Amino acid sequence: MITALAGVAALAAVLLGAPLLVIAANRLVPGVPATGWAVLGPALPAILACAALAAGLLATGPGRGVGIAALLLALAAACLLAGSIGSGADARMAGQPPAARAGLGAGAWLAALWFTAAIGLAVRRVRCPGLGPAVAGLLGLGLALGVRAGAFDALSLAVEYAARRETVHTALTEHLGLAGGGLGLAIPAVIALSLWRRGQDLVGLVVGGIQVVPAVALLGALVALTGGLLRLAPALRDLGVSALGPAPAMAGIAAYLMLPLWRGLAAALRAPAPDSLDAARGLGLTRAQILWRLRLPLGAPQLVGALRVATVQALGLATLGALVGAGGLGRIVFDGMAQFAPDLILLGAIPIVALSVAAERVLSALEARMRAGIPA
Amino acid sequence: MSARSLIPVAATGLGLAALSHPAVASRIVGALGEAPRRALDVDRLLALTLQHLVLVGTGLALVAILGLGLGILATRARGAALRPAIDALAAGAQAVPPVVVVALALSVLGFGGPPTLLALVAYGVMPLLRGTAGALAAVPREAIAAAEAMGMTRRQILTRVELPLAAPEIVEGLRTALVLAVATAAVGALAGASTLGTPIVAGLQNQNTVPMLQGATATAALAFLGDAALLGLAALVGISRPRT
Repeated sequence: MITALAGVAALAAVLLGAPLLVIAANRLVPGVPATGWAVLGPALPAILACAALAAGLLATGPGRGVGIAALLLALAAACLLAGSIGSGADARMAGQPPAARAGLGAGAWLAALWFTAAIGLAVRRVRCPGLGPAVAGLLGLGLALGVRAGAFDALSLAVEYAARRETVHTALTEHLGLAGGGLGLAIPAVIALSLWRRGQDLVGLVVGGIQVVPAVALLGALVALTGGLLRLAPALRDLGVSALGPAPAMAGIAAYLMLPLWRGLAAALRAPAPDSLDAARGLGLTRAQILWRLRLPLGAPQLVGALRVATVQALGLATLGALVGAGGLGRIVFDGMAQFAPDLILLGAIPIVALSVAAERVLSALEARMRAGIPA
Repeated sequence: MSARSLIPVAATGLGLAALSHPAVASRIVGALGEAPRRALDVDRLLALTLQHLVLVGTGLALVAILGLGLGILATRARGAALRPAIDALAAGAQAVPPVVVVALALSVLGFGGPPTLLALVAYGVMPLLRGTAGALAAVPREAIAAAEAMGMTRRQILTRVELPLAAPEIVEGLRTALVLAVATAAVGALAGASTLGTPIVAGLQNQNTVPMLQGATATAALAFLGDAALLGLAALVGISRPRT
């Protein structure tokens, strides 16, 4: 109960005291903060009431019905808040010159955090498998529809997006290509290395050692090496390899993915109990049959687990690809840093984080299902 | 075990450090067929290394205090409610790459060292915190019960039983945090911090391979040498590496 009261008080303090929006004459000058009262107007009491009711319900007990009611209330309050911020920004931007910006302030982010936590708690209380991803998907869909309908057009994040829609979409494709290319290089490399039974100690040392090398440094060294390689074998240029571009970026990403993949593969191959292996040999199964019928099915959760770690790392590392001219969402982030435009940084950062979180969630759900022995 | 595994790490570090010397780096780039351009001289390289080290050292000290402190707090009876939040935060931190943390901190703190330090701490705390909390939670109940039966106070149990038993995992967490700190400090060059990442970023931008290679090898050398130093320190106080 005390936690619930403290939570409601914290939300009230954020909505009343912290800047929800920051209004600036252009995107470079520091803006003037606008707090909850000024932005939300009459919606503020409704949002606070819904949120307080949801928190109170969550505090009353572990009941399922209570959880559903709290979830609906929290969702309603969150949607109302998002909509009101959008229209509040719209009202403030009306009649302003096009360079003027209404950016989301600290209060908006803190409130988003609050509602994420509250919705997460409520979802857990309802105890319905699959509800969490469903709610997340629904919220994402709602947000996308809201953006499409123009509810947030006045926010500077949307203004930046509208100005670079094509760039963002290209960057997204490039980002996925870099991460996928890294995975595509690392997986065969790891399989080949695992086949070298006698060299596993050395492989472990090298693959582990790569992790110690900072990514920026490895990319720099790879660019230098690719440049040298191209001078020695100019024919590679015809294949589309260049010193600056996707080639060194994918090689660098792949280098870091080798440790989790190599460990996962080794763990997966060790997954069957020695007794089952003996039994399989006794039945006269060949080594290939043991691999396909015993080791790989039993080791599948470990393989998916390794793939999950590697995918999340690949999506993060692809950000640095922009440093070596490979594009990707990192380019938008670096552009934002160079221009000191926080909204541009966010425009690149939000998809990166969303992609990583989505990959993490999907693959860990798959892993859990495999562990539970249910065929996915 | 520890002392033996330290040698290849330290040797790699020293080798990479040698590669970052202007004469060596120029020769390598020359061998790769590129017209040699001006290299960073030793003084500039040492100055950048020092700045890199100051950033990493400050960050790592903060990381150690925060990570150990919160890790201990989360495993006390009173802090048990914190565990799920810590696990969620640690999982969340995994999803945000260091570059993005630096970029987001940049918009709050401005250019230079501060955003890098913030990113370094925010990113480094998680592996140490998770390692500490996990290792303390894994201390056998019997060991604690025995210590209680011997009449030890809570503080004595923590410092004489729990922390020594958890030490190998804590050292692993610190090693991860150190490697992350060196890497994040290098990325900090993008936010205008003056570190060994600066020649890499500048070299990539104006196609100047020699300083790029020098910065890259020096940064990697720093990571390996720091790792070796931590391993050596742990071996010195008698902490063996955990069996994996």
